[in-house]
Amino acid sequence: MVVHSLFTKSIRDMRKSKVQFISIFIMAVLSVTIVTGLDSMWKTIGEQTDIMYAASEISDMWVNISNPSEKELWSISRTKGVELAEKRFVINALTGLEGRPTLKIYTISRSSRLDRPIIQQGGLKSRGGAIIDSSFAKEHGLKINDTIELKVNGRWTGFKIEGLAMSSEHIYSVKGTTTIIPDPQKYGFIIISEDMLKSIYGQKIYNQVCIKLSAGADAAAVEAEIDKVLGDNLIGIVKRGEDSSTNNVWSNISQFRTLAAIFPLMFFIVTALITQSTMLRLVENQRGQIGILKALGYTKGRILWHYTSYGMYMGLLGAIVGLLLGPNLFGRVLIPWLKLTLADDRILVNYTNFIFSLILILICTGGISLYACLRLLRDSPSMLLRDKPPKEGKHIFLEALPKLWNRMRFSRKLIARNTLRNKLRMAMSIIGITGCTGLVVAALTLTVMVNGIAGHAYETTYKYDQKILLDEKVDSRFIRNIRLDGTVTQIAETAAAVISPDGSRTMKMLSVFPQDSPLIRLTDMDGNLVRLAEDGITITRKLAETLKVKAGDSIQIKRTDGSYVYAPIRQIIYMATGQGIFMTDEYYESMGETFKPTAILVKWNNKPDRAFLQSDNVDEYVDRVSQMKDVKASTRVVYIAAVLLIFMGGILAFVVLYNSSMLNFSERIRDLTTLKVLGFYQKEIRSLVLTENILSVISGSILGVPVGKVIADIIARGLDDQMDLVSRISFQTVAVSGAITLVFALIINGIAARKMKNIDMLESLKSVE
Amino acid sequence: MDFIRFENVEREYHVGGHVIKAVDGISFGIRKGTVNVVLGQSGAGKTTVLNLIGGMDSPTKGRIIVDGQEISSMSEYELTTFRRNKIGFVFQFYNLVPNLTVLENVQLAKEICSDPLDSKEMLIKVGLEHRLDNFPSQISGGEQQRVSIARALAKNPQIVLCDEPTGALDSVTGRKVLRLICDAAYSMGKTVIIVTHNAMIAHMADTVIHMKDGKIAGIEYNDEQMDAEAIVW
Ligand SMILES: Nc1ncnc2c1ncn2[C@@H]1O[C@H](COP(=O)(O)OP(=O)(O)O)[C@@H](O)[C@H]1O
Ligand SMILES: [Mg+2]
Repeated sequence: MVVHSLFTKSIRDMRKSKVQFISIFIMAVLSVTIVTGLDSMWKTIGEQTDIMYAASEISDMWVNISNPSEKELWSISRTKGVELAEKRFVINALTGLEGRPTLKIYTISRSSRLDRPIIQQGGLKSRGGAIIDSSFAKEHGLKINDTIELKVNGRWTGFKIEGLAMSSEHIYSVKGTTTIIPDPQKYGFIIISEDMLKSIYGQKIYNQVCIKLSAGADAAAVEAEIDKVLGDNLIGIVKRGEDSSTNNVWSNISQFRTLAAIFPLMFFIVTALITQSTMLRLVENQRGQIGILKALGYTKGRILWHYTSYGMYMGLLGAIVGLLLGPNLFGRVLIPWLKLTLADDRILVNYTNFIFSLILILICTGGISLYACLRLLRDSPSMLLRDKPPKEGKHIFLEALPKLWNRMRFSRKLIARNTLRNKLRMAMSIIGITGCTGLVVAALTLTVMVNGIAGHAYETTYKYDQKILLDEKVDSRFIRNIRLDGTVTQIAETAAAVISPDGSRTMKMLSVFPQDSPLIRLTDMDGNLVRLAEDGITITRKLAETLKVKAGDSIQIKRTDGSYVYAPIRQIIYMATGQGIFMTDEYYESMGETFKPTAILVKWNNKPDRAFLQSDNVDEYVDRVSQMKDVKASTRVVYIAAVLLIFMGGILAFVVLYNSSMLNFSERIRDLTTLKVLGFYQKEIRSLVLTENILSVISGSILGVPVGKVIADIIARGLDDQMDLVSRISFQTVAVSGAITLVFALIINGIAARKMKNIDMLESLKSVE
Repeated sequence: MDFIRFENVEREYHVGGHVIKAVDGISFGIRKGTVNVVLGQSGAGKTTVLNLIGGMDSPTKGRIIVDGQEISSMSEYELTTFRRNKIGFVFQFYNLVPNLTVLENVQLAKEICSDPLDSKEMLIKVGLEHRLDNFPSQISGGEQQRVSIARALAKNPQIVLCDEPTGALDSVTGRKVLRLICDAAYSMGKTVIIVTHNAMIAHMADTVIHMKDGKIAGIEYNDEQMDAEAIVW
């Protein structure tokens, strides 16, 4: 059968240029793997969260309020746009477990409909019972019917675990600004009954109203209305997407979406270029065969399809393998590193984008093959059967500069002419190397940036030994009077409601401390030491970006009495982690507030004051060193990503350089043999082929640096809202990336050189092929 | 003393379990400054002999001595150096580098050897002074072969090896090319070895070596050489 024999022919042809076809296949696999992999990440995270949000009926906003009355609740629920409002009590509590982890307590009542836990096992049965975070329980080996001790209202109380659950508010479960990646060893949630809380406090107590908006309601209008109704009782409003859990989930999703959209592009381009150069050569070498097929009466379409199918097979095969590989590699390996608590561990695949990338890869393989063949098919069979016209030499632009040209060695001239004649191959190598260097630069930059976070925060900025969180009853005077043996800085850290110039409302971290504290050294973007503004506020760069403000603008900050005051932004500082508003205690008092520290930072002269630390004036304390360790530990996911990036860069460089050297070599084997016979040494011949690689490695490495910066920026921006990562391409990064790329290139050159040595020079002299 | 000497030289090839003796224990000598023709049918082992002299191939047995050096025991690198300085090749299919101009093709050879001759002069000698800046694809086969000869001579080698130099040319052109080789060789005192399966060329040689099945079938010494142009093909 004709079709069958043609198929056999394609298989044989492919086997003959197996390196090229394997390369096309690998590139196709990589392209589709990256698209489906990244897609599956955001799709999985997105859909799983949606499922959880729907299952738990997550609120649209949470209103923090000091003890709302029935009347206030009633007026909130009557606000236009509010469909449902429920009150609850939320507070962080220490547990009696080892390492003193914190659990966030939420109360629930029989009638609660919003923000319900997603029960895994059991349920809330008795008044003294509790539903506990299943990840936390697993981490601490807690089971149903165990009892857990919590410090609530200053007293240790035991709760019987009756259920295990997940929470929509704890998909990304972080305590606050000090942790970056969730750690169920340290933080989780617990749900107890309203009645139980009442018996602990001696009265019914609430501090939060959960609000579900009716469809199409204007959130901003609802916010403004609630603010007006509650006045000074309102502490602040957090919208869904602003709290650390939902916010992080969203930034994760959008980060992978952006990456999936731009990142694979260069892999597709390289696939197309490799296919192009491979097929052009194959078709060219088969001029005669095409002529015979035509003379035999094969239709143009048949012949076209025959050659198109070469690329198609590779593209199709690659896409299928990519579909299997992508979601598993990215989803299964990377998603767990994000430490999200999701409903289940299914990995979802975005088939729409898969189909799209399949079509794209088929264009890059099959389409390009078709194009390569079309050019030749225009010739008549008799023309095709005649010998291929010898490749023409062409003068190149460099010759217009006789001074330069005449001084070049002939081997250099040869390289120059060859390189310029094969612009396509050169482009392929350069793009490949650009990609490789880009990926390596991105990987290293990310690592350096993330490594820098801990150091910037806990070495450059903060100089204390310990941060001691104070009990509610402690005030500024008390601290001054106890005369701790060390340098002490009082600091008040609260969440404050702010209104930015465009009218949007958010809750932001507000830190108040005295001017010129030796324990806090603020710096600007360039690392210069800066003082707090005296007549206004100082905010962090990333916050300025989020609020869309600059120095000189004013934002409104809500005071304890409920009214807003304008505070001018005088200073922008850089904080690697923990974005917020900073002001001096004096400026704070000038706003009409009283400075009451929530914590003190201490640098001890001798040993820490045990007696003070154990006293009931202290809620909790933490060493700066261990804070730093925590941050470092929590950013390990970045290393995995970096390894993955470097790995992909390596494959890219390898495929591209190996291909271009082999193409270059086989195209010019006759020339090279001639040179060898003339008495050129192996080394000289090798350099003739490989100089082209060196040229593309050099230009690609240079182009790769900005590409790497862009990739690093995209990943960094999405990493976390609290982190301000500024990608600085350091000299070391460039040097190391250049070195890594060069090592890749040298390995490939070595392999290519060995392959070249095996070529029998006599063989290729015998005929004109 | 022979300039080139073969002593019981054997060259075997192993092809799919079979052993082919391309050169089967031959011994002969070639004097300096002579024109030699190796004759024989296709497959007789002529090219193999030429490649052995040129250091492109090494014998499996026996010794080859060129200008007092035993090349049969040289390393790959030494052989390359030997080729570089002592040998000029002319091939059947010219083997010019398509991406270099006529002049550059000749200069290329010059670039690597110790005592080269002027490239332009060589091209004038072969009558191509008007083609210097053309690429090989822009000139005829005969002209290309002349470039190839110029390239071989420009290296100022002691030995010029030609493997069927007229094989791809028509008879008139072929004759011109042969004459060129012989004239140049005589005037410059080169030792020339021309391989061919065409017996007519033999008349212009000092020595004719007949080969058959890898062995030497006979050696003729001509006292009077015919002018290449006078040979009827
Ligand atoms: N590289 C090789 N591998 C195997 N056999 C070879 C090789 N080169 C030559 N031969 C064999 O050696 C014999 C002599 O070849 P060659 O010297 O090319 O003959 P000629 O040039 O006289 O036509 C032939 O039978 C040929 O098939
Ligand atoms: Mg031969």
